[in-house]
Amino acid sequence: MNWLLSIIYLVVFPGILFVLGFAFFAEWLDRKVYARVQRRVGPPFLQPLADFIKLSSKEDVVPEKADNAIFTAAPIISLAAILAAFLYVPVVTATALHVFEGDLIVALYLLTIPTLALFLGGWFSGNLFGQSGAMRVASLLFSYEVPFFLALLAPALMAGTWSMSGIVVYLYGNPLAFVVTIGAFFIAVISLQGKLERLPFDIPDAETEIVGGPMSEYSGRRLALFRLARDAEMVVGAGLIAAVFLGGPWCPFISLDPGYIAWAVGAAFFILKTLIVLGLLILMKSAVARIRVDQMVNVAYKYLIPLALAQMLVVVLVKYMGWF
Amino acid sequence: MLESLVKWSRLKSPWILHFNSGSCNGCDIEILAALIPRLDAERFGVLLKGTPRHADVLVCTGPVTRQMKERLRRVYDQMPEPKFVVVVGQCGCSGGVYAGAYGVVGGIDKVIPVDAYIPGCPPRPDAILDGVVKLLAKIEKGGG
Ligand code: SF4
Repeated sequence: MNWLLSIIYLVVFPGILFVLGFAFFAEWLDRKVYARVQRRVGPPFLQPLADFIKLSSKEDVVPEKADNAIFTAAPIISLAAILAAFLYVPVVTATALHVFEGDLIVALYLLTIPTLALFLGGWFSGNLFGQSGAMRVASLLFSYEVPFFLALLAPALMAGTWSMSGIVVYLYGNPLAFVVTIGAFFIAVISLQGKLERLPFDIPDAETEIVGGPMSEYSGRRLALFRLARDAEMVVGAGLIAAVFLGGPWCPFISLDPGYIAWAVGAAFFILKTLIVLGLLILMKSAVARIRVDQMVNVAYKYLIPLALAQMLVVVLVKYMGWF
Repeated sequence: MLESLVKWSRLKSPWILHFNSGSCNGCDIEILAALIPRLDAERFGVLLKGTPRHADVLVCTGPVTRQMKERLRRVYDQMPEPKFVVVVGQCGCSGGVYAGAYGVVGGIDKVIPVDAYIPGCPPRPDAILDGVVKLLAKIEKGGG
């Protein structure tokens, strides 16, 4: 029976199908809220699915100058890395499918792979716009990745473990601990916005400057996969933040009996918390305009990183005083 | 089953690319006016894309000048199949006031196949959206 449960966990819930479905939903939510903020009606509910099917059924074009192998592998690798990262996020109970000391770091590095894949895909697409977009992707990597890692260090220090499930177990015991790391939470959300290359950090695919950025030459099913990977990254990143800062499936009545009701309630709370993080990402996108590359480096190194370091100091002090 | 699903998706998600092959800019401004929040083309799934690789519908304006002929052809060839062309404005339909000028080849259909014509000088934004909806109806009936 156990292997059956594992397969269901891997493939259906909260594995691949759940993440992909949630990714479509997140894109719809993103576009709908964005439209409502601009006083528009917005796209219908099945719009992301229609886009995906339409793109997958289009002609398959590989530019003559592109490197076929890398050009094709980039979207697949980025989607695979994101789905792999989600296995370490605790969704139903405090322990994820696979737990080991340090899985937080592994998940963070897995979430970096899509950026590198985007860079390689853009670079080897043989298009000048793609290449300049790829250069922007690579140069921005350093400005959001550092604050993102530093911000996620705070809850890990707090819980004294490098495992996401360990952090969630700690939050089960001390639910109020999230108040201490609330600053790091917002830094993580802002850096995640940069990681996803959304407004105000959508510098790499600024369509008014360099047409489609690294995705200029992508079309058909490769583009569909890239878009899906980006949506999935949004969901997995938001879920990771929800788990590490907000306690993932933790809720006030977690000790429900029997077990499966507790599972359902836990999963519902995980989804709710992920939606809260997604809402923050979407509202940020609606409220701001694009900034320049140098401004982004400024934001990251002048504000986000010092704040993240200050946050770590607060955590160390709180730990030292023995308040938590 | 699969075919009707694909057709549904095509009807629901026409991404457009806007190309000016010699228009006086009147039609281009009206196209932008058709994409404003008030008319909200995104509720039909319409997105304006920057690159021909992403686009399904090429929205052309203006007569084709001799200089732009090759470029129009190339942009059209870069779009992946299935693709559709909508012409906005009298000039694109027939050459309009520029017909017969020494630097002008003629309407868009002298260079690439056209699926829908939206006449007017320039057409109103609602006429442009209406033309796109008519194109979608044509696709639904079986073209493409
Ligand atoms: S149809 Fe009229 S508005 Fe449009 S390009 Fe021709 S002259 Fe300009």
